[in-house]
Amino acid sequence: MLKRFLYIIFLMPLACIDPYEGDIPEGERLLTVEGYITTNPGPHPIRLTRTDTYGSVFEGLIRPVVQARVGVRDSEGLVTFLTEVTQGVYNTPESFRAIAGLSYILQIELQDGSNYTSLPERISSVPQLDSLSYRSIEVATENRDLPRSGVQLIAHFTDPGDQTNFYYWRTAPASYVLVANPELHTLPPTHPTNPRGPDPKDCCAICFVNEQSRVQNFAIASDEDFNGLQTRFPINFIEDDGLRFKDTYRAEVHQLSVSPGAHRFLKLIDQQLGITGSVFDQPPANIRGNMINLENPDEVVLGYFIAASVDSKQIYIQNENLEFLQSPKIIADDCRLSEGALTQPPADWNP
Amino acid sequence: MQKTLFFILMLSFTQVGIIQAQQKNVVGRDIGELKNINISGRITDEITGEALVGATVTVREANKTEITNSNGFFSLKLDRAEYTLEIRYVGYETIVYPFVAVGEGRINLRMLQEDFQLDDVVIYGRDPQKNIRSTEMGAISINMNTIKELPPFLGEVDIIRSMATLPGVSQVGEAAAGLNVRGGGADQNLIQFAGAPIYNPTHLFGLFTAFNPDIVNDVTLYKAVIPAKFGGRGSSILDIVPKSGSTTNWGGDLMLGNFSGKLSLNGPLVKDKISAQVGIRGSYINWLLQSLNNPDLRTSQANFYDANGILYGEINDKNSITYSFYNSYDDFALASDTTISWKNQSHSLRYAGSFSKKTTIDLMAYYTLYDYSIFNQSGINNFDLVSGIKDQGIKFNFTYAISDKNKFNIGADSKQLTINPGELIPDVSTDSGILPKKVQDEFGQESGIFFQHDLEFGEKIGFSYGLRYDSYLYLGQRTVRQYADNLPTNIGNVIGETGYGSGELIQSHDGLGPRISMRYSLNDMTSIKAGYNKMYQFIHLISNTATIAPTDIWKLSDEFLQPQIVDQYSLGIYKNLKGNIFETSVEVYYKDIQNIVEYKDGANLILQNHLETELIPGQGRAYGAEMFIKKNLGRTTGWISYTYSRSLRRVITPFEEEIINDGDWFPSNFDKPHDLTVIGNYKLSSSTSISGTFSYSTGRPVTFPEAKFDFAGNSLAFFRNRNLQRIPDFHRLDLSMNFKLKGEGKFFDGEWTLAVMNVYGRKNPFSLFFADQVGAPPQAFRLAILGVPLPTLSYSLKF
Repeated sequence: MLKRFLYIIFLMPLACIDPYEGDIPEGERLLTVEGYITTNPGPHPIRLTRTDTYGSVFEGLIRPVVQARVGVRDSEGLVTFLTEVTQGVYNTPESFRAIAGLSYILQIELQDGSNYTSLPERISSVPQLDSLSYRSIEVATENRDLPRSGVQLIAHFTDPGDQTNFYYWRTAPASYVLVANPELHTLPPTHPTNPRGPDPKDCCAICFVNEQSRVQNFAIASDEDFNGLQTRFPINFIEDDGLRFKDTYRAEVHQLSVSPGAHRFLKLIDQQLGITGSVFDQPPANIRGNMINLENPDEVVLGYFIAASVDSKQIYIQNENLEFLQSPKIIADDCRLSEGALTQPPADWNP
Repeated sequence: MQKTLFFILMLSFTQVGIIQAQQKNVVGRDIGELKNINISGRITDEITGEALVGATVTVREANKTEITNSNGFFSLKLDRAEYTLEIRYVGYETIVYPFVAVGEGRINLRMLQEDFQLDDVVIYGRDPQKNIRSTEMGAISINMNTIKELPPFLGEVDIIRSMATLPGVSQVGEAAAGLNVRGGGADQNLIQFAGAPIYNPTHLFGLFTAFNPDIVNDVTLYKAVIPAKFGGRGSSILDIVPKSGSTTNWGGDLMLGNFSGKLSLNGPLVKDKISAQVGIRGSYINWLLQSLNNPDLRTSQANFYDANGILYGEINDKNSITYSFYNSYDDFALASDTTISWKNQSHSLRYAGSFSKKTTIDLMAYYTLYDYSIFNQSGINNFDLVSGIKDQGIKFNFTYAISDKNKFNIGADSKQLTINPGELIPDVSTDSGILPKKVQDEFGQESGIFFQHDLEFGEKIGFSYGLRYDSYLYLGQRTVRQYADNLPTNIGNVIGETGYGSGELIQSHDGLGPRISMRYSLNDMTSIKAGYNKMYQFIHLISNTATIAPTDIWKLSDEFLQPQIVDQYSLGIYKNLKGNIFETSVEVYYKDIQNIVEYKDGANLILQNHLETELIPGQGRAYGAEMFIKKNLGRTTGWISYTYSRSLRRVITPFEEEIINDGDWFPSNFDKPHDLTVIGNYKLSSSTSISGTFSYSTGRPVTFPEAKFDFAGNSLAFFRNRNLQRIPDFHRLDLSMNFKLKGEGKFFDGEWTLAVMNVYGRKNPFSLFFADQVGAPPQAFRLAILGVPLPTLSYSLKF
């Protein structure tokens, strides 16, 4: 923002942001824990990685921590072991679900024999997620002629007045109707007789896609501002990529109740994601987690093991209800050829 | 860089033309003549070397007066004796030249124009020996004429930035308007205009100061041994005294620059009784923006103006009343969806009178306010976020001077403060997802009584002592939380709430603040001074950024946030050389600060009803040595100031989640150990001068991440300890050239100023930040505010 402001003030690019080649301290590669268990049925994944250092071009890989022994122990002494499903990702059994009122700790033993544990996380009951709603919104961008648009999801719930609540919202992988135009299919440009000539296909125009995106949005809130009130809270923004909202999009929202410590951790994460490099940025904060090395309490372990009770809801977003839409992307082919597309809707598809 | 060297060289080697009357000069070759010795001489202009025609040359003892001829020559016939020669010329400083006539000889003297003199004699006011003879320490007055000789910042003379060229005073960076005085925060300075505090005197997010130099008479910064009449801030007082208009005739100033213009007028409303001075300054960036093709720029706006008025009424010779008004306003909209605006306003009414030669009395009342708002009209979640602070106060000051060397000052002051820390008003016309929120207002009352006694024992020893008692009340209406003992003050540990009624006392603080300073003069030109002062501060700037931003919140002390207490010890040696042409000083200080505001990791400050959950008290200490050399007179004037200083912070807490840097001392945001400023002003001719400023300082502390990790698919940086790395060192050279038109008659006296800031285009980083950009490894980026040389041109006119 300041950069653009300065453009305006001086009518010339005085201020500038450019890469800084300086000595960035070489950090240790710190163990990082990411994941949460909930009162929903499993599997709940826990991901173990090692950090990397800022700086040179050839560094910068976050490496999975493999072949660790990972377990969750509840306050009644029951230990559930997790199994490594992909490199560095450990899942609880499908039958595992956490129980509200109990406390949980995460225990990790690495290949080198070092032992880690989390501080206990107590699960408090989650206020009911009454309903979900959505609205279409437009977001201004640097290019005024091409605003972004998308759908804002809003959670409706009633906060209990007699307790302090910390909310954490995550969305489950979404599904949507993928609309293609196989009738517009053309021959390849290398076709010997009729390059790019029409070649309509009979099938298929409608598929279903289960969407797994790398970056997952989340939202947090504490009830400080709405204690005891019926509340609606914007929890996610799903950007229109020209495909998602061509027909029907289904989102699934998990409303989690987390501990004060987890809330603090998530708040720091959320804050850092908002840093843009302007003079008004907040100074960086130390994002402390709840993991400890049992042999060496001074070792810094990043990440927070969260245990939460959860209430979930789904919502179907219909194209005709959206005011702002990006120009639709045309898939001039059989929709089944798109990645992850299936002709059958998910089992519980019920728009 | 070469230019800088040139200036340094100029400062060091330029020979000084003016002759000071320190000892008797022997004139002529002694061949035993006794009577009718022929003494001739020539009087010329110090700067241009032109002959001064018609200057009066008087020999007091012989009762003889001569007038210089068309070549500036005079001649006298005198007997062998000691004489005192006085040379007078309209518009020039009178020269007194004692000499002994022993034989036929010549006396060539150069005279200095009076207004050059004003330009040149800058620090410590117009008494060139004040720095040596007064017991005051660490007080710096800068005359406006001096500030006007410095290279302008964005075409404007900037009062606050000029202060940062002095030793012990620094700024965080190029977009930071606040001053850091001897390791103190920007909120530890009381900036007052005509006696009324001004909270955010900046334009364009701190790029420059919102004081119009044309209506300012002089500026004094007290950085040590602050007089007992001032209180309420820990580090310094910046006292800006406006001009009052002429009671005899009308005149004014006009200035037009690239981005802004200003006009001031002053003159008598009732001749010899009531005068008015008004000034207005505004930007015309908006007109320029609207003429641009880029739609983003065309729909943006950046406005600012400031306006001042001073009414001065003389009741009689001994009594006067002054009313001063100050207003500044800024609004800035980026591509027309978010408008940020802020304004300052103050009114003050002052009565000054004297009942006898020995007593003066000063009474004043003021009202000041600072408001800001952020107005979001993007069409989604429209809202208005407003906040503000209001002060109203009275001051009484009585001075009794038994003699010049024995003065008493007693008085009292009191003010009421009201703070609106923030109110979020959603726009009801759009379907806003935002809930309205109003943070509780704060009310406080700050009062003080004081006395000070300045005493001199002969020429050698001076002594000044004073005491100020500060009392502070934190008042309702307010709901105050209680937190569980032995647990961090955070929302999870609230055990109850207490409601206080309107005006009900919630918390009180008070304290005694002694001030003491001593001077011992080794001789006419050298003195040593030592001083101590203790200050209390009941208001804190809650800001998570390194600079004063319009989003900052002022917060009163309460039961969680104790008053800041500053103890400062200072010691200095002052020496003038070559007949006061050079002033030098070395000062050292140590400062201890209690209850400084630090921030818990990730503190959320905006719209926060219970700020105690986000803040943590810290300790501060600062120490340093300041060296200063200044050349007051001659074609080349200027100064070199160098400061070595440290400003450190420490937080001691029993709670793991609040620990900052393992409880060790760490550098504050503005800890810049080495700070050098070289300023030179060189008069090429009577109409043309060039000036340059070179500044260098150690890069300010920043926090670098130690590692990068993932959360929910986002890359995040892990920061462990605060402020342990530094951005690259800061250095910049600014040059300007000032050309005065030779005006016809007395009506037009115009000046062109061409200035180039950042001559060699240094990209001084204001901040470093770390980002993951698509397709590139995670890396550090720097934000430079002034990355290229910036030329400005302005024209000013006096009439």
